[in-house]
Amino acid sequence: MVGVMLAAAGSDAAMVLAVGREFSPRLEAFGALEVSLDLDGLARVFGDARTIAHEIRRTAADRGLRVRVAIAGTCTAARLLVRHRIGVTVVEPGGDALALAGLPLDLLAEIAAPQADAAALGTDGDSRGVTAAARPASTPAPALHGRAGRSAQALGLSRAQSDEQKQVQALCHTFRQWGLRTLGQVAALPADDVAARLGQFGVEWQRRARGEDARPLVPAVPEERFEQALELEWPIEGLEPLSFVLGRLMEPLSAHLERKDRGAAVLHVRLHLVTKTVHARSLELPTPMRDARTLRTLALLDLESHPPGAAIDRVVVAVDPTPGRIVQYSLLTRPLPAPEQISTLMARLGALMGEGRCGSPAPVDSWRPGAFTMRPFAPTDEGPAVEVSSALPSVPVTALRRFRHPVPARVAAERGAPVRVTTDRRGLLGGRVERAAGPWRTSGGWWESEWPGGARMQTPEGRGAHGGAGTAAVGVDATAAASVTPAPLLPPSQPWDRDEWDVTLSDGATYRLFRQRDADAWFIDGIVD
Amino acid sequence: MANSALATLESALRARNLDRTLTTALPPLERTDPSAYAPAGLTDLDACLRSGLPRGQVSELAGSRSSGRLTLLWRFLAAATRRGEIAAFIDTLDRLDVASAQAAGIDLDRLLWIRGHAMARAEGDVLERALDRAIKALSLVVQAGGFGLVAIDLADVPPVALKRLPFNTWLRVQRAVEGSDTACVLVGPEPLARSAGGVTLTLDGRTSWTGEADRSRRLSGVDMQVRVVSPRRRVGGTVPVAATAATGC
Repeated sequence: MVGVMLAAAGSDAAMVLAVGREFSPRLEAFGALEVSLDLDGLARVFGDARTIAHEIRRTAADRGLRVRVAIAGTCTAARLLVRHRIGVTVVEPGGDALALAGLPLDLLAEIAAPQADAAALGTDGDSRGVTAAARPASTPAPALHGRAGRSAQALGLSRAQSDEQKQVQALCHTFRQWGLRTLGQVAALPADDVAARLGQFGVEWQRRARGEDARPLVPAVPEERFEQALELEWPIEGLEPLSFVLGRLMEPLSAHLERKDRGAAVLHVRLHLVTKTVHARSLELPTPMRDARTLRTLALLDLESHPPGAAIDRVVVAVDPTPGRIVQYSLLTRPLPAPEQISTLMARLGALMGEGRCGSPAPVDSWRPGAFTMRPFAPTDEGPAVEVSSALPSVPVTALRRFRHPVPARVAAERGAPVRVTTDRRGLLGGRVERAAGPWRTSGGWWESEWPGGARMQTPEGRGAHGGAGTAAVGVDATAAASVTPAPLLPPSQPWDRDEWDVTLSDGATYRLFRQRDADAWFIDGIVD
Repeated sequence: MANSALATLESALRARNLDRTLTTALPPLERTDPSAYAPAGLTDLDACLRSGLPRGQVSELAGSRSSGRLTLLWRFLAAATRRGEIAAFIDTLDRLDVASAQAAGIDLDRLLWIRGHAMARAEGDVLERALDRAIKALSLVVQAGGFGLVAIDLADVPPVALKRLPFNTWLRVQRAVEGSDTACVLVGPEPLARSAGGVTLTLDGRTSWTGEADRSRRLSGVDMQVRVVSPRRRVGGTVPVAATAATGC
């Protein structure tokens, strides 16, 4: 026995669900205003089907809802009936086909689009004075979690239903062209002939016209809150006592996640401070995880970097759940560390080295010297795992040790080629140039700012030095220079124009030099090592 | 019978890393299977190293500037990441050139790059703090486990600063890495840890050039002489390794 409750347009969707849950835990929502209830076994509690229907309607009215209720042998029959008849409709067992026989054909299109027909209910005769059904202010609204996610899901679902509704409307149009007007007439058609002319889709909707369900009821599982909170008798200060509190909260939270086979996608920590403010932190986890120790460590490491400003009165820990992780190990490759381990390591390294100092390097599509970007370190098991000899070049490739701040240099040049290099940097004394190759001229980024001419160069000290007269000249020709120019950094928006040289000095080392052409200044870019 | 029982007991203690509690001198437990080494994919060098750098030990690449230390390290990292392992590089003074690392064949997605802070002048307290952070990061990575190769670049740190490190620094690292599948590599101007179980590769290299005329000359690579020293593992010898210059870096 299935009951369907359809609320008037403008009703609170959460309230409709709440009323449904008061009668049966096995319910399925069709859109925002229609709920299907599995009523088997309720007769012992409330009485016969008609009593149950009236009880549902009365409870809904108590909550400020105007609803229609239909009870039939199948969900489809109840959904069709509830749209056609006002108030309460109860079909005795076995009477579905008869009850549906006289209903208009267009109801089929309506059950394909629950949102649309709910709105239609607000304009029909029964809903007069019902559209503005408002929830009393005193009635508490049930909490809905993950509402945004549900909305997105509902959006995709309603789009699919809209497509189906169009197909059903076309089907109904065909039936009307055949002279059929009621569901009973459609139900009476020979199924073989319907299949021959309208395909499986036609047969499926002919079964609906007979009141048969296409699928069993799929109970809606209420979203669970994964949250733990603790009121502290005395405010605590410092992270050490907080770690014990977090551990106490994480254990049941982790157990709850494990029971439900869920993992935490985002970890929220809210600290209610004695100053009546809330210190909230959210950690997006790279993979779903539920290990209590890992979650506690991650939260603590984050709070070490972002400590609360006052003593803590109340601690709330919540997670955004996501389906648990399924790991398939390989017999042939070495397993990677678990994501929990990597997350913990990255959090510890981040606390030690600073934000954004740890990750995987990645080249960028640019000729800008030394350009790179950082990505989160998240290795996957789908590695190359190929033979070394086939994947690597047969001989090693020389490496460059690049100075992130190029070292200003004094360069003596003859006919444009460097012959002697010295610097003020301790350990980089320089010397006579024994071998040199160059220049290789590169430039770029000039289209992104005022260039050439008085282009601004960013200096490590943050000053803007203008090329030309404003810069101390260091590029000299056959004579020693007096001073050096601050090293240029190359932020992504800055232009560059340089001549590069590879030089081996008398100290035995090979350097990558460049001459900044606008300032005629020399720098050591790196060391070949 | 007694010898058999003693051997079983010693074996059990060794499996749990408790063999140091024994008062008798045990023969070194040396793994000889291929998975106990991290090869470079260079036939001559791997043969000299008996398959590669030993896992669970601290090895070193030492040499002067432009001797090819970083080039050889890139090769080991490239081989490790191409095998599907993950590797970590602690860049004490933030000197990594991403383009040349990629040109060397390193799978960058499998490389954890821990960047120190680039300093205009690496000296004094600032340098000591940077060095301290880098060694702490090394300890964290080694203790986390799961990495095939972990390297720390100390090549540009002045030797004076390295000598000021507490004497037990590398011993602690050695104890942390012992028994794991991680090969730990220190890159420095001279041997630092001198681990008995690891190997020390001392490099002597010079850059090679092609073209005699000024206009046609270009850097063609680095010719290295790699001297392998490891008395305990009884490997040794000198291996020539030639590296070619990267293009577009």
